[in-house]
Formats: sequence, structure tokens, C-alpha cells
Amino acid sequence: MSKKILAISSPGGHWIQLNKICDGLQQHQSHKIIYAVPAVRFKSKADKKHYNIIDVSADNKWKLLPCALQIFYILLKERPDTIISTGAAPGVLAMFLAKVLRINTIWVDSIANVKQISRSGRMIKKHVNVFLTQWQDLEDDIAQHQGAIL
Amino acid sequence: MIFVAVGTQFPFDRLIKNVDQWLKTHPNETAFAQIAETDYQPKRMQWEQFMDAETYQQKIAQASVIVSHAGMGNIITACEQQIPIIVMNRQYQLGEHRNDHQADGLKWMSKLTGVYAAPSSKELFHYLAQYQSLERPQFSKNNRRDSLINFIETQL
Repeated sequence: MSKKILAISSPGGHWIQLNKICDGLQQHQSHKIIYAVPAVRFKSKADKKHYNIIDVSADNKWKLLPCALQIFYILLKERPDTIISTGAAPGVLAMFLAKVLRINTIWVDSIANVKQISRSGRMIKKHVNVFLTQWQDLEDDIAQHQGAIL
Repeated sequence: MIFVAVGTQFPFDRLIKNVDQWLKTHPNETAFAQIAETDYQPKRMQWEQFMDAETYQQKIAQASVIVSHAGMGNIITACEQQIPIIVMNRQYQLGEHRNDHQADGLKWMSKLTGVYAAPSSKELFHYLAQYQSLERPQFSKNNRRDSLINFIETQL
């Protein structure tokens, strides 16, 4: 069934992986996917609806609140069925808010986290509906391995 | 053709200089480099600071090997296009990045077939010397990515 999805992540590697996943989902059927990412030197394709959010990391806590407010606004306005994130801090914020709003959440931990689940992943792990790792040997009672982007 | 790409975020003098130095002793090889805001101007290869997606794809299509910083974008492209890639990480200690996460990058990237880790010029020259016999990445679209996406589809 066609769904409305919010795809949210940090820029760089997280964002590249998130796009690979969303492009793959679009090939199955036409979901409505809305993107949220801090815009740092990247060009958004015209056919993708995109919100610019504040660039946050767990290290600059004073930015977390304004970013959370932005995401909260996006969630209320767009009312997505599901949120997908590859990390890091923006994904954590979105998924905590999604829990309050009872929105379905899917976390795909970055392929870069090969030795252990990412810091942001560990923070949000118990609060998401589906938690995926891209490395088989990181599976545990919550994190499941169902494949990887490479 | 050897395609060199350092990403868009930072310069990477060490990588560009090293390839240029290698070309000095291998005058029959041709290379093209995307160098961002690197100060050093290559003498033995053509270069651009940045390139649009179309030019990038064009250069990738002509490349027999890619030499890259440890960035996610180039690794994914190399695997998808099945072109061997030699990866050098930016080092925090040399002032090449804000932190040392590109060193961790090498750890997972080099687990992939066709991806070769070059933490220093020694490994870089070693792999460049045999670039025509490097193994190609074995990325298949019907493989790991499809399983991941098919599974996510069931959880939407």
C-alpha cells in the first residue's frame, strides 16, 4: 500500500544511505516521501519535497531544542505514516517525537558502524518499532539484520 | 584512466600530491582529478575543483580505477559501477578533517570486495602499481540492498 514517509538524517554519509533506501522503496511503488536534512552543500532533486532543518549533533545540545521544534512542526503538518532514519541526532529527535505522536518508526543504523551500534542508535534503540543493523554480527534481541545498502 | 576524487567538503593535498608524484614515474598513465579547494595544483593530470553529477558520472564511466578519500558517496558509486577503488583516509592529526572518522571508515570499507585501503602513500603506490589487476567490487542489485529494502517495505 502506498504510504507517506518522512525520511530524516544528518548530511553526508547518513544522507547518502537514506537516499539509496528511499530510491529503492520508490521503485517498488510510489510512496509519498518527504525529506528532512540539514542542507550542507548538496543539491536536492526538484522532484523531492525537502525540509531544511538545523544541523545538530549530540555534541551541541543547545541546538537540539530548536531542531526538535522544527521536526515537531513537520510531523504535525505532514502526518507521515512512517519515519525512516539512518542517523544521527535529527533521527533520534524525530523518533522520540514520533513515539508521542504514535507514528511508526524504522531505524537503519549506518553501514559505517561495524564494530558496535552507533551512539545515536543506542539512544533510540528501545523506542523504535523496527531497528536494523547493516552488519550481521551486530544483531541482538532488538537489532535485526535484513540486508545492507552495499 | 585513473579517476581521483576528494569529495566536496575539504581539500586533500596529500592525496592529490601523492597521485601526481606517482604519475611522474608512470608517464604513460592518464588521470583526472576532482580536487575541491586543494591548494596544490596537479601538474600531471587534468583536474576540476567540483563537477556536476553528469560530468562525475561521465568520468566514472571512463575510469579503470578510482582513487578516493574515505567518503560514503564514492564508495557506493564504485561498488554500484563495479570499479575497483583505492581509499585514503583524511587524518585528524594532519589537520585533514575535524575528527578521525575516516580512519574508522577504512575498517568497514576494506571489508568489501574491490575496495582497497591506503592509509599512507606506501599502500597507495602499491595498489596503483597493480591497478589493472585489482578485483572489481561484487555489488549486485539483487543482493543485500534488495533484501533490506524488501524488508523495510513490509514494515511501512
